[in-house]
Amino acid sequence: MSASIQRRPGERLRDNPLVGRALGCLALSFVLALMIGKQEGTQQDFGLAFREAILGPRIVWFLLIGVLVFLLLTFGPRVQPYVHRPGIRPLAIGGLTVVVAFSLLKWTDSTVVSDGKFSTLSEAASKTGQLAPLARTFFTPPLPWVLFVVAFAVAAAAIVLRKAALSWVGVALSVLVGLWAWYSHSLVVSLLGTPDHSTGALVALLGFLAIAAACAATALSAEESANTRGFVNRIFAWRPGMPLVAVALVLGVMAFAIATWFSPSNQNATLVDTASLFSSTGLAPLAKAYLSWLGYLLFVLSLALAAFAAYRRDPRLAWGAAVLGLVSLVLNLVALYSISALGAKSAFDGANGPWDNLGTGGWLASAAFLLLAGAGYVVATAGRERGTIARTQSDVLAGIGKIPGMSKALILLVVAGALFYPPMATPFWQKVLVSEIGIYVLLAIGLNVVVGWAGLLDLGFIAFYAIGSYTTAYFVGALPIQPPEWMRLSPLLCIPIAIVVCLIAGVSLGYPTLRLRGDYLAIVTLGFGEIIRIVAVNNPGNFTNGPKGAFGIPTPAIHLGPIHIDWGQSSLQYWYLLLVITGLVILAFNRLEQSRLGRAWAAIREDEIAAQATGVNTRNVKLLAFAIGASTSGVAGVFFASQIGYINPDNFVLNNSILVVAYVVFGGMGSLPGAMAGAAVLTWLPEFLKDQVPAEDRQMWIGAVILLMMIFRPAGLVPARRRTAELHGFDDASSAETSAVPAGEGMGGTK
Amino acid sequence: MTDFMNYLVLGLTRGSMYALIALGYTLVYGVLQLINFAHSEVFMSGAFGSYLVIGMFVHDGQHLAWWQVSLVMILGLLSGALVGAGVAWALERVAYRPLRQRGAPKLAFLISAIGMSFFLSQLAGKLFNRLSQNQFPSYFDQNKAVLHILGAAVSRIQLIVIVTALLMMFSLDRLVSGTKLGRSIRGVAEDAPTAALMGIDIDKTISRTFIIGGALGGAAGFLFGTTFVFSNIMGFIPGVKAFAAAVLGGIGNIRGAMIGGLLLGVVENIVPTAPWDGSGGWIGLQWTDVVAFVVLILVLVFRPTGILGERLGRAA
Amino acid sequence: MRTRTLVHVAALSAVGAMALSACSNSTSGGGLSGSASSGGGGGTTYTVAFEGPLSGDNAQLGINEVNGVQLAIDQANAKGDLGFTAKLLKADDGGDASKAPAAAAQVLQDATVMGVVGPSFSGASKAVGNIYGAAGLTIVNPSASNGTLQTLGFKTWHRVVPNDYAEGPAVADWMAKKFKKVFIVNHLSDYGAGVAGAVEKELKAKGVTVQTAGVDAKTTDYGAISQTVKQSGADAMFYGGYDAQGALFAKALTAVGFTGARVAGNGVKSSVFTAGAGAAGNGWYFSCGCQDATVAPSAKDFTAAYTKAFNTPPSTYSPEAFDATNIVLDAIKAAKAAGKVDRAAVNDQVNKTDYAGITAQIKFGPNGDLPAGTGTVNLYTQKNGKIVSLGDVSKAS
Repeated sequence: MSASIQRRPGERLRDNPLVGRALGCLALSFVLALMIGKQEGTQQDFGLAFREAILGPRIVWFLLIGVLVFLLLTFGPRVQPYVHRPGIRPLAIGGLTVVVAFSLLKWTDSTVVSDGKFSTLSEAASKTGQLAPLARTFFTPPLPWVLFVVAFAVAAAAIVLRKAALSWVGVALSVLVGLWAWYSHSLVVSLLGTPDHSTGALVALLGFLAIAAACAATALSAEESANTRGFVNRIFAWRPGMPLVAVALVLGVMAFAIATWFSPSNQNATLVDTASLFSSTGLAPLAKAYLSWLGYLLFVLSLALAAFAAYRRDPRLAWGAAVLGLVSLVLNLVALYSISALGAKSAFDGANGPWDNLGTGGWLASAAFLLLAGAGYVVATAGRERGTIARTQSDVLAGIGKIPGMSKALILLVVAGALFYPPMATPFWQKVLVSEIGIYVLLAIGLNVVVGWAGLLDLGFIAFYAIGSYTTAYFVGALPIQPPEWMRLSPLLCIPIAIVVCLIAGVSLGYPTLRLRGDYLAIVTLGFGEIIRIVAVNNPGNFTNGPKGAFGIPTPAIHLGPIHIDWGQSSLQYWYLLLVITGLVILAFNRLEQSRLGRAWAAIREDEIAAQATGVNTRNVKLLAFAIGASTSGVAGVFFASQIGYINPDNFVLNNSILVVAYVVFGGMGSLPGAMAGAAVLTWLPEFLKDQVPAEDRQMWIGAVILLMMIFRPAGLVPARRRTAELHGFDDASSAETSAVPAGEGMGGTK
Repeated sequence: MTDFMNYLVLGLTRGSMYALIALGYTLVYGVLQLINFAHSEVFMSGAFGSYLVIGMFVHDGQHLAWWQVSLVMILGLLSGALVGAGVAWALERVAYRPLRQRGAPKLAFLISAIGMSFFLSQLAGKLFNRLSQNQFPSYFDQNKAVLHILGAAVSRIQLIVIVTALLMMFSLDRLVSGTKLGRSIRGVAEDAPTAALMGIDIDKTISRTFIIGGALGGAAGFLFGTTFVFSNIMGFIPGVKAFAAAVLGGIGNIRGAMIGGLLLGVVENIVPTAPWDGSGGWIGLQWTDVVAFVVLILVLVFRPTGILGERLGRAA
Repeated sequence: MRTRTLVHVAALSAVGAMALSACSNSTSGGGLSGSASSGGGGGTTYTVAFEGPLSGDNAQLGINEVNGVQLAIDQANAKGDLGFTAKLLKADDGGDASKAPAAAAQVLQDATVMGVVGPSFSGASKAVGNIYGAAGLTIVNPSASNGTLQTLGFKTWHRVVPNDYAEGPAVADWMAKKFKKVFIVNHLSDYGAGVAGAVEKELKAKGVTVQTAGVDAKTTDYGAISQTVKQSGADAMFYGGYDAQGALFAKALTAVGFTGARVAGNGVKSSVFTAGAGAAGNGWYFSCGCQDATVAPSAKDFTAAYTKAFNTPPSTYSPEAFDATNIVLDAIKAAKAAGKVDRAAVNDQVNKTDYAGITAQIKFGPNGDLPAGTGTVNLYTQKNGKIVSLGDVSKAS
């Protein structure tokens, strides 16, 4: 531990590797024991939880984990050559996925099976006489795990030993086990008879398929070390659009052959069942035709057309496939509307109106059609990029965006998911999507402009959200002081006003303070956020109604000529409204990043003085960033207020501001998809953890996740391309000095 | 005048605690140019740690002699400081050093500290309890007035808090300006690459800076818990205030943190209650935090680097 | 595999409209029932949901309440005369109005849930009252005492605690008889602002000189406010806030040497206050529309059982949550006896409740609130570290 003058980062560990590492691993196991230990000691006995966590036989297991980590770290380098073998990555991902599916995810929503997880379900199902023997066998307790371990071991052996025959055994085994799990689950679902939203079986199937892919990779690849990026490159370079067609094929087969289309009165009807169910009713002929033959035909036709167009790289055929896919999508939606509307009319249990009681099938089919149309579009537009293929393969720094068609395909997948996943989710997840995930994604997009692009640390971002919310509350008349009658607005019309008000607020906060740098700005914005909240609490002039908040903010509604839409309590409708808003914001911001203004932001973020010297009007450019971020936040506020119908100052606490910053950085600051992914993951996580850990402990686990993320991936989930380059640069010039003390990194240049 | 002095004493008590916590922020900022957001949890763990230790020796309702009280006080301060230092050291090892070695962007440090802060405060809640009010055993009459300054009564606990804080701040000032460790801290703060060339072990210096700041924060946790209450979420609000105080005085500047902390505490008690005649004040106590932040913003608008300016190295 | 389902569905389409009554809310799906639910004594399982803060800064309040709910359910199951198995569903809203709708969705999507105890806070109640109302699911609220909730038109809403507005005027009348100048300290929360506002209004109407001040709900430093109270020369102080903060305030008031009377609402009357304030809490007055828990024998049993089950004595709103749960369980039982258990039937039964709880005799008015004037507001005081009853506040001297 002696001081040395010239040291490279991390050298201390190498000086004295075993002791330090062993101590660290033991500390880790103690902390884990505490984290998974019993809940709090009592007032009388503070040390109770501590003693129960640490003293006792259970600590041995945690110490074993610590020892295991230690061994892995110590002997990790010896297995290094194997880690780079082709197939190891899909094997790891697949194994992890299956373990997650078997231990964490829900396999049924039915409350008959207490927590709906795999272990409880399998225990119940294995004893149930009514279940087909094949499924019952699968659920007999140790068997699923044994099957998984065997499949995993075979795959691992195949990869390590590089035996092609063994690999194919592994492929067959994994695929069979995966399908068996999926099939057994579908039997259970039909036995339980309640609509099912669980993801466990699907995820398990995907995990097994990944293991199969690992085996296939090791059998097919002649290379010594894996080259995943090259492989993906080759796939996309071979036929852009084809991967989308493949995904659509899987979704479509699931939709048309297995999935539930209609689930009235605790029954799950597949497409065939639904067709016969409605055969003698007054269903519209078009929908009837769709259910009985048109749907299948459309799927086969558009699939074939898209695949052929992709194979031939024929733009005209591709445009045809795109149009056919869209037409089929519309027909599919019409059919879904017809059956659900008729179902509601014939008073099936639990149906309140159109779009109720629909199973997953229709939505999967919709997604498939959308992807086929998208594949057509990708093929039709890929022709122009053909020349870029060769170049990108040699580009070391090629982000995913540079592989032709890849970014389009990813965007299409995300869009399809955003459009058609929510109707398949449970009401709870729909509500979470609307009231937490969606809103925070919008906030993160806004804050990304300020923090990620312009490099201004804003710890009071929620203030603008509050201003947007209270503006809405005022103009709809939910506050004690009423607006004059002619100024009373519907919530959607408050959006432009909220934008203007937040712009003004942003500028008036920014104008005097934006010459402050870095952390000074952070504390000032933090103070501003608190001031806004305290003003709302203290209720000057009886404007904000104090801690009682504003109740009775009406739900948004549109009455335009023949169009009448009232959002009411339906989470799904809010979701689509939010999608429209978010989509518009993304479109606008995407332009912005590439514009002159975006480059000016990057310039002041990197070096404000240099930017000033090159003629950037730093104050105005910063003000613009601030105002644009603020108005996005205001829009989110309008949406929040009218969706929830009630606001109070507690919605706008400092902690929320800090969280939004954490979302942006967690996702990858400066990167639009990153900020969105960060917000989505970190708002999804607490709700997911609900079923995994005691509610009180969720924040602790989230803290740990954030910490680990920053340690192992400091640039975030989806790093901004420009920042990736910066980090890369740091690595190359890793002198002790630059690593020991981080450079100002442009956050106001505190150096 | 008496009434004004009463508020002033209250303000100085609160301000001394702010100052002690603010020193932790400012020390770390000085060497790393980073806001250590998890410092509030260092403060919290100091309170819990000292409670666990002195809870073994004293019980509620005891009346101890003055020398016994001082012994318990010293024990509490030491154990709080020790636990605070330990947590701060671990914090640096886990949430800062790996990121430094990877050359992470500055905001990543902020977020890893926030993650650590969530983690520590909830882990404490899980291990001990989530009540918002835990109290130290009362082993002497804290509120008995011991001296009067211009008519204002200063209670025992207020005197203890102010004197201890001043002593600790004075020793820190000596430490930083007069010892070898202090020189290396100042060296790293001033110019890390050059300091490294001069033979200063940067990692070790940073680690020790965290330990010093953590010890002060932990001791402040003990004082805070003794005066008010302690809980697993006690750190957040004083943490934010102390951060504001550090910025007010000029972050990275030790004397600035002391002045900023005392000033903020006094402002919070004096300004909203003016004219101190029992009428509730022109502004009113519900605006306390607004007053604090407005003063901060005004100071920064006119002196963008705080009252004494930045830089640990230059000021000491 | 599909043929079986198909037969069912086809048969179902034939009966058409009759389907509605045929299997509404039948929860015994297929052959998996019983095997996974604990006990399984009564065959069917009905769930009582709790919605409240189980995480975040206010988690302790939610834990107090959910323990009360758990105890009521365990006792009912152990007794064995329910005729069904009762189960608890915990829905965590973090005490945050913006998270309450998701928690409500979680509750609503479980078809076996027949009643909700919660939400703990008025804000969350306002955010979800209409959601539960639209689904016809009964809410029995154990702790949100905001005086406007009953006026908001929630269809299935009930509350077992008296609202702030019922209690405030009664205690203000009593104060008006005794004091000339009252300093009202408002803990800036929904509850604190409500009760302090009600007291202020009544005192002013009675011609008492009133001075008010607010303190941040999360602060721990009550030095300045205590100093101000002392200086104001008021002969009494009314505190609208909660117990834990009240204890700190009590100590700070004693420290500055305030000599006037100290009065607070039911939010302060708890063991948390007496334990926290210690000797400084002696002489505080509390108004509460609740029965004297030290007298009612059922309350003693409750305290003993609670302490045994959770290793800590019952705290704020645990008894109320216990009562609320028993009301829901009784309603499900009554609905079962009447032949049909669904959410609407249970709500009807809750409306008819006349229940002797450990906190009060509970009978809901048409708006779901305890009707004004039915429960007497009692006055309590802390003497030697214990809360004792002084009887009806309107008759107290």
